[in-house]
Parts: sequence; C-alpha cells; structure tokens
Amino acid sequence: MRHFRTLLAHELRSAALSWNTWAAGGLFLALMGGIHFFALIEASRAPSDRTPVESTLWFFWLPLLCVLPLLTMRTFAEERRSGTLAALLTTPASATAVVWAKFLSTWIVWVVFWLLFTVFPLLTVQRLGTPGDTRLGDPSILWGGLCFIAVSGLLHVAIGILCSCVTRSSALAALLAFICLLAMTAAGGAMESLPIESWEWLGWLREPAAHLRTFGHLQDFAAGILDSRPIVLYGTGTLLCLGLAVLSVEGQE
Amino acid sequence: MNEAAPLPEAAVVAEKLTKRYGSLTAVEDLSFSVAPGEIVGFLGPNGAGKSTTMRILSGTMSGTSGRATIWGVSVALDPAGAKRHLAYMPENNPLPEDLRVEEYLTLRARLKDVEPARVDERVRKVMDDCDLTRRASGRLIGQLSKGFRQRVGIADALLAEPRVVILDEPTIGLDPHQILGIRDLIRSLRGKMAVLISSHILHEVEQVCDKVVIINRGRLVAQGRTEDLRRELLPEVSFTLVTRSDEAALLVACRAIEPAAAVVALPSADGWSTFRISLPTGSPARETLAGALIAAGISLREIAEDRFGLEDIFLAATRRTPGESRRS
Repeated sequence: MRHFRTLLAHELRSAALSWNTWAAGGLFLALMGGIHFFALIEASRAPSDRTPVESTLWFFWLPLLCVLPLLTMRTFAEERRSGTLAALLTTPASATAVVWAKFLSTWIVWVVFWLLFTVFPLLTVQRLGTPGDTRLGDPSILWGGLCFIAVSGLLHVAIGILCSCVTRSSALAALLAFICLLAMTAAGGAMESLPIESWEWLGWLREPAAHLRTFGHLQDFAAGILDSRPIVLYGTGTLLCLGLAVLSVEGQE
Repeated sequence: MNEAAPLPEAAVVAEKLTKRYGSLTAVEDLSFSVAPGEIVGFLGPNGAGKSTTMRILSGTMSGTSGRATIWGVSVALDPAGAKRHLAYMPENNPLPEDLRVEEYLTLRARLKDVEPARVDERVRKVMDDCDLTRRASGRLIGQLSKGFRQRVGIADALLAEPRVVILDEPTIGLDPHQILGIRDLIRSLRGKMAVLISSHILHEVEQVCDKVVIINRGRLVAQGRTEDLRRELLPEVSFTLVTRSDEAALLVACRAIEPAAAVVALPSADGWSTFRISLPTGSPARETLAGALIAAGISLREIAEDRFGLEDIFLAATRRTPGESRRS
C-alpha cells in the first residue's frame, strides 16, 4: 500500500508535468467546447427534446476514442521501450501496485478533463440562462452524465492500460486502445439500434444486449436512475483488464 | 542495514540455474555463489548468458529450472523479500529522462523501503558518495552525460544499503577517468556488501574483484580467485629472455635443470636474441632459472617472468569446452 501511494503520487506528478497530458487536455477541451458550441447553435435553431448539455454528453464517445488513447498509450509502452519498467520492478514494489497506480492516475486525469468541461455548460447557463430555466442545461443531467463518464471511464482507462502493457510502441498502444474502445462503443450502440427483440433467432442475445447498451447507461445516469448492472459490468470489466495487465507486466522478460 | 539479522554463508547462490527460450538454452546448470562482502567479477563472451543470469538473480526474469537465493531468500518463492536485500543495475542503466536526480533518488528510496525519516539523509549520502551533489543533483537525468547517468544508477543501487549489489556492465561507455571513479566506488564497497559485477574490461575486474566467475555458452567454465585460476588454467610459467647465446645452447642449459622446458625464439633486433622459456607450473627451476643459465655460460642481458593476466585466464577458460570446469 505504501508503494502504491508513492507510485500514485509520482504518476500524478508526472502526468501534471507531461506535455502529453497538456496536449490531450487541449484537444479534449477543443473537441468538447466545439461540440457544445454546435449543440447551442442547434438548440437555438429548432426546439429539441434534448438540452444542449445532453446533446454534448451524447458525443462522449468522440473524446473517448480520440483523447483517452493519448493518455493511456505511454503508461507502459514507453516505460517498456526505455527499460525503466524493468528497473522499477527491481524494487520491492509489486506489479499490481505499479498497474493500479498508473491506472488510477490516468483515471483521475480523465475525470479532471471532464470536470474542466463543465465550465462550458455552467458558463453558458450563467451568462445566457435565466433563473429556473433549464432549457440550456439541467445541472442534474450534467452531473449524472459525468457520473456515467467516471464509472464507465474505469473500464475505458483499464482497456487503454491493458493495450499499453502488451506493446513497446506507444503509437501501437494508442491504435489498439482506439480499436478496442471503438468496438466496445459501437457494440453498445448497435445493441440499442438493432431490433433484437423482434428477431426470434437472436433471443439469446437479449440478456447480454441489455447489459451492453452504453448509450442507455448514459441516459439512465443522466436521468438519475441508479442501476447496479452497469456498475457491476464496468467494475468487473475493469478488474479483469487490470488483472490481465498485471499478468502482462509480471510476465515481461 | 539490519545488523541483527544472522549472516548467511552465501549472499548470492545460483544452483543449477537453467534458462531456455524454446530450443535455445541461454543458461544451463549454472552454479556459483558470492560470499557476504565479497566482490565477484562475472565474465563471459557476448551472448554467454551473463545478463540473463543477472536478471534471473534480480527477479526480473524467471529461470526455467534451478534455484537462486539472495541473502538466503528464494528469488522465485519470495521475490519481494529477495528484492529487499538486493540492488540491481541493469545493462544500459535505464533511467527516466524527465526527473531530476534528487527527485529520482527520493522516489527510489521510498520504493526500496528506506525509512521515511531517513530518505533525505540516504539520498544526500549516496549523492555525495557518487560525486553527484555538486554537479548533477538539480539537473534533469535526460541532460546528464553517460558518466553521470552511470553514477546515478550506482547511487540508486546503494540507496537502501542492500546486502547484495548486482551491476551489469557498470562502466560501459565511460571514459578512463570515469572508469577510475566507478572502480574506486565499487572497491569501497568491499566488506560492506556482496557485489556481483559483469564487465568486458578484464583489467578493471582484475583490479576490483576478489573472485571471478567465467561462463561460456551459458555454462560455468571456471570460478575462483585469479591466482587459483591462473594455476588451474595456465599450466606453465614462462620467462622472456634477451641474450647473445643461440637457441640450441639455451635449450641444453634449460633442459639440464628442467627436462620439460621449452624454448621459443621471438623477434629481436640489434644483435641480441629474444627467447621465451616455458616451464611447468610448480617446477623448482622457476626460482633457480636465472642462476642456472648464468652458471651454464649463457650471457643474459635481461630475464623476466611473464605475468599472465585475467585476459589470458579468460581466453584459456572460454576456449575450454563447457562442462570441464572444476570448482576452485
């Protein structure tokens, strides 16, 4: 535990001083700022069921695919390439402590990015909204959506960490993470779009499909519905990915 | 260092260590030991299995079979326990480029379980010992010269006052001044911690180490003190002689005192002849040769016993078929 705390503090400090984090943060804020701006424009043109905040959060997959791999790619791949991971493992610190420290620091950075994003809708409401009017954005939707980002982010970051563990190339790690996250998000979206209920021969898929509907989870969280199933899904998925990452780090020779 | 702990017979034990990569055997049945406080040179040609062995001993790689212990703790069964007694500096000494020397050493001290209250003191001590305080403490590691990077690696190895230090090519790429500094530093560890050091610079190993372990093609070919190995691997002593006498007369004079003596003519100039006389190790003629030659009427300008260095021992050992080795 002592090693974990030391490593976590070191990883957070490294992340704060890394050009990579700042570049990823800049890209994230540019993306989300742009999406929110267009969501506001769109909302001003025609009435919609969704508030601009909901519309913006709906695009969570864009920074997930474009920014998160930038944060996770260097965690292990770069250290494996330079040999500093092997040097780190010559100390009594365990591979588990190393993996969890890198995971948690990256997750914290990811959550901080999203917290920074809240400046856009909060400023919009403050400048353009009127008291009691929730058309520009209901804060409960914003915070609910961010809870979804934080919970699902556990699994997303763990996938990125695992991808970084299996290669010495940061670029390849980013590409692998992009593909895995794209497959996961697309599968989640597909589960909601396809009329599985009406296809008799796909009856066996209904139950797992109900678990994997990523956008449905976002909707539930934003609506304040606390369903334990997505939490279990993201939690167990995270543990599985991190377990594999630990095995991968331990097995590196 | 925990002084109350009992002293094991050997600080490092490798027992029948074997490492295979598919059909390739990198290390086979390798056994040797390092006593507490001893400095041992670990030698072998490129690809002999030195780094593999060191990585197995340091717990960063698992062996296929065999046993490795550090200060009596099994590396395979209790890697964290073994690592508490061990510091390992891998070949090429990988360091994070974006940390300052002091920050890096502080981090490593914390990871190596140095008591929190002693972290600053230990960091200052090793930086002083490795001559880093004045010129490198506040600099980014990425901006340091190769010599200073090596010093940072050695400072890191000494941080937690380990029982055992394993250094893989600590002087590779250094200039002679830097090598001298590192050599003095390693020499200063004698008696305080067991040091296993691999190097291609045999002169350096001979200067620093109490004992050498020589491997070839993953197998032990010789181990022991340099003097013992010299006797074991180089079965003759030789003398270089400058004289006006001819080879036949010299051979007769030598054979009179040692029937197994051999004489070989060497290139010479200015009217004098140079010869090499070889005698079996342990021959009594070794001590009386000069006197006997003068008594036999051989005119001597100079005579000197050839000193075989570690280089000769290394070449003789690595030429020998693996598996013929004997413990010294």
